[in-house]
Amino acid sequence: MKLEEESWENRHYQLCPMDLGLFQALERERVLEVLQRDKALRTIEADRIRRLKVELQGIYHQGAKTITRPYGQRSCARCQRPLGKFWDCGSVCCGCSHRICSRCRVVRSAIEWKCTMCHAFREFKIKSGDWFLEQQAKKYTDIKENGHETTGDKLLQSYQRLSFIAVVPPTPPPFKEVKSFNKSEEPKTSKPFTKSMENLMMSVSAHIRKLSKSQNDLSVEAGQLTVNYGRLNSRRKSLSEGALDRACNLCKAPSLPDLSQNAKSSEQYASSSSVYLTDDDVSYTSAYSDEHRDSNSSTGMDCGFFENSVTGEIEVAFGYNNRTSCLEITIKACRNLMFGDMRKKCHPYVKVRLLPKKYHNNKMKTAVRRGNNPVYNETFTCALEREQLVSSVVKVSVWHSRGLKRKLFLGETFLRLADFSLEKTHTQRSVWNTLGPKQRHSLGGDVELFPSDLLLLNAQLQFLTHTDDTLTGSAGQLKVVITDVWKLSVSKTAYIEGVLHLPGERELVQRTALKKTDALQMSFRVSLQELQQANLQINLWEKHTFSLADRLLRSARLAGESSWQRLQQSPGEWHDFVLPLHATVSTNMRS
Amino acid sequence: MTDGDYDYLIKLLALGDSGVGKTTFLYRYTDNKFNPKFITTVGIDFREKRVVYTTNSPNGTTGKTFKVHLQLWDTAGQERFRSLTTAFFRDAMGFLLMFDLTSQQSFLNVRNWMSQLQANAYCENPDIVLVGNKADLSDQREVQEKQAKELADKYGIPYFETSAATGAEVDKAVVTLLDLVMKRMEQCVDKPAADTHNTDGTSKLDAVPTAEKKCAC
Repeated sequence: MKLEEESWENRHYQLCPMDLGLFQALERERVLEVLQRDKALRTIEADRIRRLKVELQGIYHQGAKTITRPYGQRSCARCQRPLGKFWDCGSVCCGCSHRICSRCRVVRSAIEWKCTMCHAFREFKIKSGDWFLEQQAKKYTDIKENGHETTGDKLLQSYQRLSFIAVVPPTPPPFKEVKSFNKSEEPKTSKPFTKSMENLMMSVSAHIRKLSKSQNDLSVEAGQLTVNYGRLNSRRKSLSEGALDRACNLCKAPSLPDLSQNAKSSEQYASSSSVYLTDDDVSYTSAYSDEHRDSNSSTGMDCGFFENSVTGEIEVAFGYNNRTSCLEITIKACRNLMFGDMRKKCHPYVKVRLLPKKYHNNKMKTAVRRGNNPVYNETFTCALEREQLVSSVVKVSVWHSRGLKRKLFLGETFLRLADFSLEKTHTQRSVWNTLGPKQRHSLGGDVELFPSDLLLLNAQLQFLTHTDDTLTGSAGQLKVVITDVWKLSVSKTAYIEGVLHLPGERELVQRTALKKTDALQMSFRVSLQELQQANLQINLWEKHTFSLADRLLRSARLAGESSWQRLQQSPGEWHDFVLPLHATVSTNMRS
Repeated sequence: MTDGDYDYLIKLLALGDSGVGKTTFLYRYTDNKFNPKFITTVGIDFREKRVVYTTNSPNGTTGKTFKVHLQLWDTAGQERFRSLTTAFFRDAMGFLLMFDLTSQQSFLNVRNWMSQLQANAYCENPDIVLVGNKADLSDQREVQEKQAKELADKYGIPYFETSAATGAEVDKAVVTLLDLVMKRMEQCVDKPAADTHNTDGTSKLDAVPTAEKKCAC
């Protein structure tokens, strides 16, 4: 038996592992055929994993605390729902250490639960076979250096060196990204991670791209190799990198080449059209190019020139159905629209869009009517969580349809749902709104700074009662601290203005210059009674260098008794608020 | 057969001495057919099968069902292929360690295969099922059930007596292994890395039976 055992060991060391050269040609062929089959299977598997990753990313993007929304805020890290201080305050997920509301949990047992994101991540790890690679990496340290090559892979490669195929197929690059993937995961195992998940997700996208790239190489390689294995060609299935890029960019801004193309096409159109079109038409070309709002494409220079030509109003009504969690938008009518062309024709229709685009993807359009006082009475419904009402903006734009020719911009307006206090009543409230010219991105070139039309600020509010104040009796102090000021670092000349509107047209105003690092603090002397009907507005202004007039960039409004009640109930305590800071819609100027 | 429409890709591997019936076993499992001819496997091969796996939630009710794509690696038992076959151990998630019930030698070699596994598998204590094949040839039987069962117990792994010829217990052996692997996946993901080493399954290979060694040598 001892002898037998020795021979086992010896044999193992005698043969140089992974050397197909020792086999007879026929045997080698057989083995390679198997390896090719294996490779085909792995290609399918890699495809599947990529799909899983994209899915996971989708879940992640749906709603998560990201770098722009730091940890420590009183809202659910997944659905962004604000959490209470005492009840419905959520609890911390053991996976990601974020505070999670009761809806965003996947309960596994009586005591064990995970947030939806952690659950999805766990599922991904199992389904993608990541768990196995992790275990493998523990034993085989070389995996970390060489990537997750399977034995079959290596053998195929070593065969390529032996083979007579003249064209040496490119070997797939080692998955370097995998390394970082692992690295970012390692600290997680030792301690509960908060940021590592985010880091990980960041590397995932890069990883996916890398993977698809190597996949590409692989399939090319398969094509070259399969001179003898023709049937494999039909199995090539890998996504091209371009296609994947597209998938990745679904929720991002358009990619650069797209942008330049868009810009080019609209520019071309502008130059060709302005030759024979009327003034109004020129204004539309600028409008058209501006339709790619997120892009840096040429925002028509003439825009300001024709601003005055936009006329008219639009009647819009909003309602919120609490039962179905649906926002109802009714486009009622327009009046005094400007004419579509010189012959005083007008075929207007209305486009409705819920912003920020990141969350809402539905465009809504009315039918085309005739004349410049059209009546529509069309209602659109879109699913919208109650909590999102306050942060959503409805963009309503009116266009003139010209059949096969490009549509012509007639005016637009932005409506903040927060201003309608829709939560309270179900009945629709209709308002006439003046149509304005096409909005340039309110921040001009700084698009990257503000990827969405909306910026969420974290604010902490505190109400202090001064019992010893003899002058006004029950006077108090409202303190406002904005913690993430760095988000606002637009330009050096920007400043923040806090306006506390009090009953009786009174206003308390405080202005503070923006310093990048510090938290921004403001305080107002206000009595308890006054505060109940108060209305706090935070404005971000920019000093205009040339015109001497300041430009209002963004503003947020905090109103409603419920928010103030929170403050009053526990004076002296800090309360967290999320201030949706909207890009301002009107080009407010003041000197 | 192979499209990406499945939830898990599970790679299992059959190993054991030459001629114990690994290939016929897998052929029976995937195609439910029996080929009595002995064709030695050249190096490696694999077969695929799509199965539906149902999780059993702890409270007894049947849980979710998943589509599992099984990649069943078949290895050559012959020694001259050993370096090749052992290289494939590390990419498999579970192992069917087979021996021939009609060959005492193949049973004795189980221990060697075990140490091969320990050295070359993805971890020190992988999921293994011990399979005694050719149970239908009862008149030529050399390994008693009790003997094999004892060995399996020492390693802490399940044991099955199968017959590729009749199909007896073949499915059960594979399904048991699949079950183990599925449980392992959950474990690996749920428990912090340090823990997985020190929980239940560790003794499988670490405690290589000393008693067995004594009597064999």
